[in-house]
Amino acid sequence: MSAQTQLAADEKPWRRPGEKPFIRIKKLTKKFGDFIAVDDVSLDVFRSELFCLLGGSGSGKSTLLRMLAGFETPTSGTIEIDGQDMAGIPSHERPTNMMFQSYALFPHMSVEQNIAYGLKRDGVAKSEIADQVADMLGLVQMSNFGKRKPDQLSGGQRQRVALARSLIKRPKLLLLDEPLGALDKKLREETQFELIKIQESLGITFMVVTHDQEEAMTLATRIGVMNYGEIVQVGEPPEIYEYPNTRFVADFIGSVNMFEGRVKEDDKDFVRIESQEAGTEIYVGHGVSCSPDQKLWFAIRPEKLILNRKRPDGDSNILKGMVEDVAYMGNLSVFRIKLDSGKVVKATQSNRVRRDDEAISWDEEVYLTWDETAGVVLQS
Amino acid sequence: MTKRFRFLPIATFLGFAFLYIPIIVLVVFSFNKSKLVTVWGGFSTHWYGELLQDPQILGAAWISLRIAFISASLALVLGTLAAFVLTRLGRFWFKPMLSGMTAAPLVMPEVITGLSLLLLFVAMESMFGWPAGRGFTTIVIAHTTFCLAYVAVVVQSRLSDIDESIEEAARDLGAKPVRVFFDITLPTIAPALMSGWLLSFTLSLDDLVIASFVSGPGASTLPMVIFSKVRLGVSPEINALASLMIGVVALGVGLAAWQLLKSPRTKPVE
Repeated sequence: MSAQTQLAADEKPWRRPGEKPFIRIKKLTKKFGDFIAVDDVSLDVFRSELFCLLGGSGSGKSTLLRMLAGFETPTSGTIEIDGQDMAGIPSHERPTNMMFQSYALFPHMSVEQNIAYGLKRDGVAKSEIADQVADMLGLVQMSNFGKRKPDQLSGGQRQRVALARSLIKRPKLLLLDEPLGALDKKLREETQFELIKIQESLGITFMVVTHDQEEAMTLATRIGVMNYGEIVQVGEPPEIYEYPNTRFVADFIGSVNMFEGRVKEDDKDFVRIESQEAGTEIYVGHGVSCSPDQKLWFAIRPEKLILNRKRPDGDSNILKGMVEDVAYMGNLSVFRIKLDSGKVVKATQSNRVRRDDEAISWDEEVYLTWDETAGVVLQS
Repeated sequence: MTKRFRFLPIATFLGFAFLYIPIIVLVVFSFNKSKLVTVWGGFSTHWYGELLQDPQILGAAWISLRIAFISASLALVLGTLAAFVLTRLGRFWFKPMLSGMTAAPLVMPEVITGLSLLLLFVAMESMFGWPAGRGFTTIVIAHTTFCLAYVAVVVQSRLSDIDESIEEAARDLGAKPVRVFFDITLPTIAPALMSGWLLSFTLSLDDLVIASFVSGPGASTLPMVIFSKVRLGVSPEINALASLMIGVVALGVGLAAWQLLKSPRTKPVE
């Protein structure tokens, strides 16, 4: 779907041990008074990556981005870009450019003047600037709008101008703060793919801050999930979705059903979990490093649950409950099923046929089951 | 509904009539042929011609214009600096007090401002000999002081309206802080600066009370000359002069308002 599918596994630099990172963030901390905005973050980003920092508001993702741009000074820790330490280098001398959430277009300048500004400050020759501005306008499909002022443009057009302005100096690192946040849903989806296309054609390393997990999944080569100033997990989108390492990540990315339980039997190849909440024994088909009787959580995505009217065979991984609600979403239906323990479980089914008279409906008693490798065991 | 419909236009009409009929009367009578101010003797521009031959009035007008120009310019620089401090210096505990103190001269009785400045100037002269005596310089200083407050208020409201990320964007694109100020900040606040200057200019031109306190021999401003002449009886010549002043002031305030209106918006549209 996105950039990562076009790279073969061994071409992914973050999978090659010993590969030199392009951006190296080491033990970075930023405090505002007593408030710790960014807490001891270490992160490596590689050349030509499209890295997404994902987190809720106040998670410190924007502060991290602003430290890379040079707008905030780290309290401690270091930032290295392409081998160069960024400490003490002011923002106007950094090899980075930023696209602002508000776009921050200069209101008194035309689109062309806005885009040309960076080159003009670098003392590039006038004819050269004109050529490059024309190229950039073409790249973001705004060639016919060069003479307009920002207040004569729509939101989507302004977004393109802001992107062109931040790209024209070919920065080593482009920082994007919620680049699509101000666009409506339809436009956002289209723009996501354009952004990927532009990033791939220029080969510039992108660092995107977003709170929108769908956006992060679509755009990113890798995602860093942030919470309370810390990076909780770094991984490729499927890794983050299928193998979250904490309850926070599992819950933040997509929707999930979580069952609290205790280890009943722990073997090299499997684990049995006793869960009161689930009302069934959970059998996990792989080894988990845990101790007997340890408290842990079992997380399973709604689309991994299989709905049945009849009780499936076997004696583990079977939930019994009553359909409380069915939400028809078009492409799929979401079932809310209340278990005997009172816990409500979400399950989705894709609507493969147009009309199904046999479809499971309200107040029916149903069984839910899942593959022994479909869920994740979480320790924290 | 109908009641309100009738009430509002009438109230508006009466309000404006109350404000402007005296001025209209004054302007009309400035074209009076008769030497008697209150008796209409036919249309004439005679008094305007007379005005241009009165060296006392012309001299005072020249002094007033120079004072207004210099003190408006000084107030612009100082007021803008104050506005920057109040919007950009972050939060500190005495900021509300500072903000209030900047705006206080707007509501301070002129008599008190004038008197306190006079006392200051006298004390300064006896302590280190400057400003020597009262006159042009002291009026300029006094006018700068109270005009500064107007500039600070106007510029401050504009500055707090600016999306600060446009300055960050310029820095990010390679502009040094000084460059950012001239390329980005100054053009965006220019309308406010212009209107602050014009406002100061007209205020200085209008002022009688403060100038009377701090003026000295040989430095009579136009309002001071008018006032002293009126005490000897209103002449049609003064009517003509007043009409001209109304014209200049109205032009200044009008330009100031227009400058503020045409400034482009910088806040992102929601």
